[in-house]
Amino acid sequence: MGRKEVVMTVEEAASTVRDGMTISIGGILTANHPMAIIRRIIKNGVKNLTVVGSPAAGLEIDLMIGAGVVRKVATAYVGGESLAPIGPFFRRAAVEGTVQVWECDEAILCTALRAAAEGLPFLPWLGGVGTCLPEINPELKYFEDPIRGQKLLAVPAMEIDVAILHASWGDPYGNIQYVGNTYADILMARAAKKCIFQVEKVVSNEEVKRNPYLTKISGVDAVVPAPYGSHPFSSDGFYGLDKEHLKEYVAAARASVKGDPEPFNQYLRKYVLEPESHEDYLEKIGIKRLLSLYKY
Amino acid sequence: MSDYAEDYSVRELLAAFISREIRDGERVLIGANLPACRAGILLAHLTHAPNMEWLQFYRANFTDVKQIESFEFVTDYSGFKYCEEVPEYEHLWDIIRKIDVSFFGGLQIDKYGNINLLGVGGKYPKLMFRGPGAIGQSTITAYVNRYYIYTERHHPLVLVDRCEYVTAVGWLDGGDSRERLGLPGGGPKYVLTPLCIMDFEEKTKRMRLKSVHPGVSVEDVKSNTGFELIVPDDVPETEPPTREELEILRTRIDRDGILREL
Repeated sequence: MGRKEVVMTVEEAASTVRDGMTISIGGILTANHPMAIIRRIIKNGVKNLTVVGSPAAGLEIDLMIGAGVVRKVATAYVGGESLAPIGPFFRRAAVEGTVQVWECDEAILCTALRAAAEGLPFLPWLGGVGTCLPEINPELKYFEDPIRGQKLLAVPAMEIDVAILHASWGDPYGNIQYVGNTYADILMARAAKKCIFQVEKVVSNEEVKRNPYLTKISGVDAVVPAPYGSHPFSSDGFYGLDKEHLKEYVAAARASVKGDPEPFNQYLRKYVLEPESHEDYLEKIGIKRLLSLYKY
Repeated sequence: MSDYAEDYSVRELLAAFISREIRDGERVLIGANLPACRAGILLAHLTHAPNMEWLQFYRANFTDVKQIESFEFVTDYSGFKYCEEVPEYEHLWDIIRKIDVSFFGGLQIDKYGNINLLGVGGKYPKLMFRGPGAIGQSTITAYVNRYYIYTERHHPLVLVDRCEYVTAVGWLDGGDSRERLGLPGGGPKYVLTPLCIMDFEEKTKRMRLKSVHPGVSVEDVKSNTGFELIVPDDVPETEPPTREELEILRTRIDRDGILREL
């Protein structure tokens, strides 16, 4: 019997995500988000997702909230740094309570992921003691540590159905390599029941064995080829972020929360709902724009 | 006698101040979106702190770099060409006790140096103004040996008596209340604003005026602060950047002129 290959299409990967599931999205801030799969999940019309964002998530979570697929979100930040210090849809949904926010700081979310990965009900954490976080997130509970008698936070395990990540490349057997930072991706993959890695390219197993030190995780559930798959965000080692596109997104999202939904509806139609495939999306962005994003 | 520059921006002044705070060999954690702090750290690194450790999404040494790019986004992977290690982000928390210096901003900063980055106006979640959230600051401020609070808006709505929500515990309720809570880090050292530098009175841990920037009066500071600031009898002027510091800032660190915008 041969070795099992786990290569999957964007469409197949997105179809594993169903209404009401808890998924997590990798990358950080403006880098390495699995956008090809995210756009497909939105196009599929999935609803009521609990989304565990990167500890410091980017506007990919904002887009998902704007598109109406999110019920609850766990992250310490949703924004685009100087482009949008806070995601417009995230801000509105958090204030109006239409999306429930699992409030935390970055390390608390990492602790929740570690607890899930290690199969523990919770892990202790000190950061956040004395802050407003346990007041606004009742799942964070104070307890007295039995060793030193100190007041600590019990951070419950963050259980995840599917983690969706974006890496540099992987081979058909699910060996995943990175040429940049892995951010919280590996931790998310370990915390989740299943993990799907979108990659810039699928390489041969021989290519992986040329430098096994680059392999950050193996035995993943799916490897999904999606060149430029993090666009409009950057992909470490491949391309920088598309500032013009993100500005267009931010302007549309801001107009929408101010009462003019049309620019965002247009954005959604043009870039998410109408493209038949990821390749179709890339065609819409255009080869010149894509190639201009390369940095060194 | 130092040869001081005459024409400099507020951000350049603050960058020079920050540079003098960083000692050689220290491990410094760089946050997003605070260009004057980033420039000040680099200025220290390129002058008196060649062994400083730059910790972002990569660990780098820039001493042999002629011109450092501005990197508008902390995720900009062009910075990786200077890096000697890519410490996995999730393991930042495993070395958190060993970080010497960091910098934080806030929507509200209170008289005990507590920070609110969550939001203001009303009962959570129905806030009048929702901020970014805690990001990394609850944990880093609990552990880091010392940190600096930085704001570009010195206003009574920012420098407040009590934060409505606390995302980073500073000196908590003053006195020894932070210590009693069991937080191991050294707490906030200074608060940096476009008007002045403030520290904390040793016993009460209440915010105190340390120096006013050239051209700013003590009265300006008091009338723009939302609580009663401790003002010593003698308030010196903040030391301006030297010509050499300004030259390095403008030619090697900030070639895009981001510091000159404020």
